[in-house]
Order: sequence, then structure tokens, then C-alpha cells
Amino acid sequence: MKYLGPLNKENPILVQTLGVCSALAVTAQLKPAVVMMLSVTVVCACANFIISLIRNTIPPRIRIIVQLLIAAALVILVDQVLQAFFYDISKMLSVFVGLIITNCILMGRLEAFALSHPPIPSFFDGIFNGLGYGLVLVVVAVFRELLGSGSLWNYPVIPESVYQAGYMNNGLMILPPMALIMIGGLIWIQKSKS
Amino acid sequence: MKNFSNRYIFLYITVLVVIIAFLLSLATITLQPYQKANRETEKMRQILTAAGYKEVPKSEVQPLFEKVCQKRETPSNKESYDIVCFDQSSGIVIPVNGKGLWGPIWGYVVLADDHSTIKGVFFAHKSETPGLGGEISTEKFCSSFEGKKIFDENGQFVSVKVVKGGVLNSTINPIHGVDAISGGTVTSQGVEEMLYRCLKEEE
Repeated sequence: MKYLGPLNKENPILVQTLGVCSALAVTAQLKPAVVMMLSVTVVCACANFIISLIRNTIPPRIRIIVQLLIAAALVILVDQVLQAFFYDISKMLSVFVGLIITNCILMGRLEAFALSHPPIPSFFDGIFNGLGYGLVLVVVAVFRELLGSGSLWNYPVIPESVYQAGYMNNGLMILPPMALIMIGGLIWIQKSKS
Repeated sequence: MKNFSNRYIFLYITVLVVIIAFLLSLATITLQPYQKANRETEKMRQILTAAGYKEVPKSEVQPLFEKVCQKRETPSNKESYDIVCFDQSSGIVIPVNGKGLWGPIWGYVVLADDHSTIKGVFFAHKSETPGLGGEISTEKFCSSFEGKKIFDENGQFVSVKVVKGGVLNSTINPIHGVDAISGGTVTSQGVEEMLYRCLKEEE
């Protein structure tokens, strides 16, 4: 399976260190992290597909502008559709829409893969890069929400009796620096593995 | 790498921009009615939540709202509603809005007939930090406002204070204060300011 690289040895966050900014912002809780994973996956796959379709007509001198146009248009479209039909999700996502447009993974895949590969492989490349990105988000979000708020997916999982015994949520977990430290730790694990 | 003439480049980008602009406008116009309906349902749901109707299914929001809630005619033309609360008592809904740390915060306050006792509140925010300032929209924070009074026994307007360090540890009468959110100081101050400014007009 040649597309599975992004889930492991070519992971966009852990190995290529792309998309870290948004990874810090959306991982305080699990729910926005999962929504972000799905949105990036959809946008990345569609943008890859479209750019790959028109790749032979794009003048190289303005290719970045064209990529940005397509990506931005898709993000706005996704946002509009979410607002119309999935209002609850859109409320959660609203802050992060801008982050998708500027996500380096998206531009990186358009530039490195879609411009030189046919549409179908580009589409799958987008999907798996989105998932590889999301995998890290979910792992970080699970730890941060569990240790920082004592809940998962907004449901409390740490029983009340533990709190009465003196356990406290770690406020540092919710703040962005802790996400950076956790991602650093994950990169360390990844590097020592390979 | 192929060579493209300047003419081709200009033509290419112009056509692309026009196509994309057309598609996006089309999407916006066709989706607008749905988005508007969603926003209105959301507003009704927030008002109903403040009045004690928790977890109303989406399809029942509008019929329920029209049954229990009515827009008030006031001389100042300020938005407010008469509502029959979940416990069958009547109340007045006052919209409030203000600033949090990162963006706007807003909500609805339901006052009892004496114009002083808070029966319930609902707060929402656009972009407060989840787990910190974002906690203002949780039931735990909102329910701490129930039973608070915005006028003291002399009829003076005091609003409800959001007290850092806990209202019981301060000099403020607990009937006029609630606990602030730890780690959410600026948002808590925003809530306090918003309540003071928007409820003052009830005097």
C-alpha cells in the first residue's frame, strides 16, 4: 500500500513537521480535533483531485496562486455547506476554517504530489495525508482532554470520587504550550522508531 | 517545463477567478435560506434553554417557541420577549451581548416578574478557549446564575458580579455574585460587563 506512508513514516506532522500551528489550536478537546481531521481530509483530497485534473494547463509561474485559489474556494464551499446542513458542526469549526486554508499540508501536497501525478492517485494521497494529520490530532486531543478536563468527547470519564480523593485536572494541559510539548514527545517516539 | 505566454497566463487566471467567483456566489445564494433558518432555530433554542427547556429536539424548537414566547412591544424598541418558563411561571427574556477574550460573547437572561430575580441564563461565545473561557457556555456556569438578584433590597441596581477567587471568599453578597472561571479571567470579566451594561436598562 504505497499511499499509507502519511500514517507512519511520512507523517505530515511528525516527520515533515507541517501543520503544527493548527495542531496546537484544535487539540484541547477531542470533538473539534475529529471535525478538523475530517475537514482537512475532504479539502485536501478534493483540492488534490482538481489540481491534478488541470495540472497540464497551469502555467508554472502562477501555480501557487492557482493552488491557493482552488484551496480557498473549497474551504469556503465546505464552510457554507456545513452552515446550511450541519449547523452544530459548523459552529465548532468556524474558528478553524481559516486554519485549513493556510494549512501547509494542503499546499505541500498540491505542490509535491498533485502537480505531477494523475487525479486518482492524487485523491488518495490527499485522503491519507489528511488522515495522517488527523491521527496525531486525535492522539494529542485524547490526552489533553482527559488530563486537562477529565472528559472525552465532552462526557466526563473521571469519576467524581477520584476528585474527592484529591485528584485535580491539570490546567496546563489545556494551554497550547502543552500541545507543543506533546507533539515534541510524539516526534521523539517516531524518530527513535525509524 | 512548458512555456506559457503572458497572454495565456492573464487569460487563464481571469477565467479561473470568474468561474470560482460564480460557483461561490451560486453556493451562497442557494444555501442562504437554509443558513438563515438554522440561525433562527439556534436563537430560539438558546432562549428556550435559558427558560429551562433543556435538550429540545430540533424539529420541536420552533413550535414550542411560538407557543410559549412572544415578542414584547416596548417604547424603546429594544428586543425582549415574554416567555412562559418550563416551571410554568412567566418571565422576561433580555438579550445580552459583549466581548470575551478572543471574540464576541452573547446570551439571554430570563428575569422573573419582579424584574430582579434571574430564572435562568444562556451564554454562548464565538471563539473563547475551550476548557477555559469557553466554559461560560456550560450548564455548570449558567446554572450558577439561577436565583441571583440584579437589584438589592433598596431597589438599587447592582447587576450580578462574576467574582474571581469565589464569591463566598469575597465581600460581595452571594445573592449578587457567582464564581468566576479559573483560567478564564478576561472572559469572566466580559460576562460581568455584558450583564451590567445590558441589564442596567431594566431600571
